[in-house]
Amino acid sequence: MNNDAETVFVLNMWRRSLSTRYRCFGRRSVGPKGVWSSHAVRTCSSPVLPAGRITALEAVDFWRRHFEERGVMEPDQSSQHIIAHVLGAKTIESLERERLTEFLSQETAEQVWKLCTRRLSRMPVQYVIEEWDFRDLTLKMRPPVFIPRPETEELVELVLTDLLMKPGTGVGADTQHTCLEVGCGSGAISLSLLKSLPQLKAVALDQSQDAVDLTTENALRLRLQDRLQVHHLDIMKDAETVLSLCRPVLVLVSNPPYLFSEDMASLEPEIFRFEDHAALDGGEDGLRVIKQILVLAPQILSDHGRVYMEVDPRHPPLIRQWVEVNVGELQYVETRHDITGRPRFCILQKAKAKRDHKLDLD
Amino acid sequence: VGGELNPAVAASVQRTGKSKEQTYEEFSPSRSSRVLWRASPGVPPLLRPPAGPTCVVTAGKKDLIDLPALVEDELEEQFVRGSGPGGQATNKTSNCVVLKHIPTGIVVKCHQTRSVDINRKRARDIMREKLDVAYKGELSDVLVKKKESMQRKQEKRRKANENLERKRQFKEALAADSKPGNDTV
Repeated sequence: MNNDAETVFVLNMWRRSLSTRYRCFGRRSVGPKGVWSSHAVRTCSSPVLPAGRITALEAVDFWRRHFEERGVMEPDQSSQHIIAHVLGAKTIESLERERLTEFLSQETAEQVWKLCTRRLSRMPVQYVIEEWDFRDLTLKMRPPVFIPRPETEELVELVLTDLLMKPGTGVGADTQHTCLEVGCGSGAISLSLLKSLPQLKAVALDQSQDAVDLTTENALRLRLQDRLQVHHLDIMKDAETVLSLCRPVLVLVSNPPYLFSEDMASLEPEIFRFEDHAALDGGEDGLRVIKQILVLAPQILSDHGRVYMEVDPRHPPLIRQWVEVNVGELQYVETRHDITGRPRFCILQKAKAKRDHKLDLD
Repeated sequence: VGGELNPAVAASVQRTGKSKEQTYEEFSPSRSSRVLWRASPGVPPLLRPPAGPTCVVTAGKKDLIDLPALVEDELEEQFVRGSGPGGQATNKTSNCVVLKHIPTGIVVKCHQTRSVDINRKRARDIMREKLDVAYKGELSDVLVKKKESMQRKQEKRRKANENLERKRQFKEALAADSKPGNDTV
């Protein structure tokens, strides 16, 4: 292996910012520098680049087999996505037969080897290729910022469906609506909404500076920065600041950390080692951040404004009961299911307080 | 991952119309990955293709074809996310959507893009084309357009070959004329 292809495999046991590069030890023993000393380092043997030339298809096959041998999840998808990306495509299917069967240049082959070696450390494909798609957007990805899940695409559809029914969101309309996103991560939800609704404005928050930076970067790449404000705020600690910066908003949307603390340890390595645990851990019952959002919602929302949240499948009935007792001004509207049929999304609406409602009826 | 519907389960899979809450049935727990056939009611309106004429892009040209509308009641959709709660707990890149049209048994698989949402939409577009062919056979506009496109290509090729042949003959004639002994200017 030449010097450029050196990659260090770093086991991210401590939640440090992962803006550092990943380099792997081959069969040499090069000692870690001082800055790496607090990370556990594991040696790995990555396959040597073959002497002769190979085609893309052969590389796909080679790495699929190698991932399988090493117990890497989704060996064929990993191999295909990475190699398609190196060849400038999003999927292997979109590449012409000719390109798949012609020999890779030395440079391309080295790039394939470098990226596939990263995947050996169980780094998620999205971090290996530093991008992923969400609906019709391509977003930059960077550890440890949370990678958007396919379920969340449907959360956006739910919000869009409702917003399109409101006057003032279509093209040429003059009313300007605002939505607030709590826990924006890479910016997937907010940017998706902004892309689809030219009149919408969005405010996005995250407690992670890395997430704030990445969302800002994605907004600039998609030329949506004019309609998006991103703030480094923690909904748990900075509630007052949050309330002061947002006018009443029509939509409050969130994919908050909702995993149960006890489930964190059994997460697959792709998630446990590389993604920000603060974006996942929702406390003992997974409802810690959710409850805070719901408590603040009536003060953030305009009348009849709505909350849209992605949650754990066990949460909807618990949330319904809890809101009934604890948040008088929020009415539970409905539970929606995701594409796998699991209860996944809670929709609530700001209504008059129950006491006031009763007075109206008299 | 098979996905064949167990008859007992199939019978209990709900296919209600506009109900807001869909139910799902789980296969036997012995399966290593959880496969759920989800009834498609309650699909957000944006996902449903329009009932009227649809633009179908063929060979770079857009033709308006009247494709059959899809009735979500008659569809079953499958997307595998493994066992467990899914969502934040899983990070997989597989995004293959399988769509089944119950009355005809036609199955469409789509993993053309890295977005599940777009794959779902495309699966529906493809399903509409397949249904058109299934219902109308040779008369289906989908097949007619394809045939026309192929014929156009063949015609183009034939003309190109003819031109090449004419050029070749011209060159040969030119070479014969310019041999020594000729007095042409």
